Amino acid sequence: MAPLICGRGCVCWIRKNDDLHHPPPRVAGEEKGVYPHGEMHEIQIGFGDILKKQLELAGKNYELLSAHKVRAFNVMGAIGSGKTTLILRLAEALRHRGIRVGAVAGDVAGDDDFRRFREAGIPAVNVNTGDDCHLDAHRVHHALEDLPLEDIDVLFIENVGNLVCPADFPLGTETDIVVISVTEGEDMVRKHPKIFAQTDVVAINKVDLAEVVGVDPQHILADYRKLNPHGRAILTAAKSGHGIEELLSALGF
Amino acid sequence: MHEYSLALSIFESLRARLRDSPITHHPSRITKVHLRQGELLVLSHEALQEAWRIITEGTELEGSELEIERVPVRVRCPGCGYEGDAKYLAEEGWHMRVPILSCPRCGARVEIVEGKDLAVVALTVEEEVGAS
Repeated sequence: MAPLICGRGCVCWIRKNDDLHHPPPRVAGEEKGVYPHGEMHEIQIGFGDILKKQLELAGKNYELLSAHKVRAFNVMGAIGSGKTTLILRLAEALRHRGIRVGAVAGDVAGDDDFRRFREAGIPAVNVNTGDDCHLDAHRVHHALEDLPLEDIDVLFIENVGNLVCPADFPLGTETDIVVISVTEGEDMVRKHPKIFAQTDVVAINKVDLAEVVGVDPQHILADYRKLNPHGRAILTAAKSGHGIEELLSALGF
Repeated sequence: MHEYSLALSIFESLRARLRDSPITHHPSRITKVHLRQGELLVLSHEALQEAWRIITEGTELEGSELEIERVPVRVRCPGCGYEGDAKYLAEEGWHMRVPILSCPRCGARVEIVEGKDLAVVALTVEEEVGAS
């Protein structure tokens, strides 16, 4: 099969049947010709990544955060895994060290998490995604515009409760954190391997309830270590503050 | 479920591209849009096809199908310079094939070179018979 230059100047490959999925790469000096009209043919138009815009926007967020010397963390995890409580605990511990914390509360609807941040004295912005299952760099960019970045050292961006989609949308943060709780079951890592393979800090939360729900956190830990030998998983119980110092150390504090 | 917004991005980029540089000057119909999907990207093909059908209704891309090819992850090791395929979890009992971001050669943490992207790579075009 030869690449052809059609009568109108475009490069194309004749495609007579449907089993051809891998047309050869464009090679200079290949035989040229005119494709017969009335045929199916394949045109290589290869234009970049559809998600490139997201990457570019994430890059802009990263620059903006760096310019203000803000360390930002993308906190992901299932609904009810304890993301908000964990952030509140981390913020409290950081405040004792003289580090100023801000937050972005991402939710499909409502301002419950946002109000919890505000009640704790944390400068925060509420982001409702409507129907979207994840935050994206564009929404975060607008949230950053509404935050007093010069008064913030560390920013926690709480993503929409979801273990699937947020992994595909970089926000421009320094590190991703995934929060799972023992109440979600022992097999959470196995069920969502893609997000865990790519995330280097994991909090296995609500370990104080492990016995009650009959889950061994060590199993979750073992699964994660197989999937991501370079990551750090910390056992936490956000409500009591268990594991918070260790999690801070994993985040480089 | 972000398939709808992805389908919309594909549609908008493709239309802009076709506007800027038309593929042909005579009557033709795009029957397939070929995509490459990195294996780390979470994507429901069914949902994407359905979104595509709805979005393209009443446009020049109506009736076209998406053909999606999954491409494996490629990694680069900042430690030893390895670049190539990733290592996969070999153990039984995992529900899907997942690449491990460890260097197959030296074991260091690798960077992802390819495998998270979604790209439009080709179109299948049916030219109307008899057109000149």
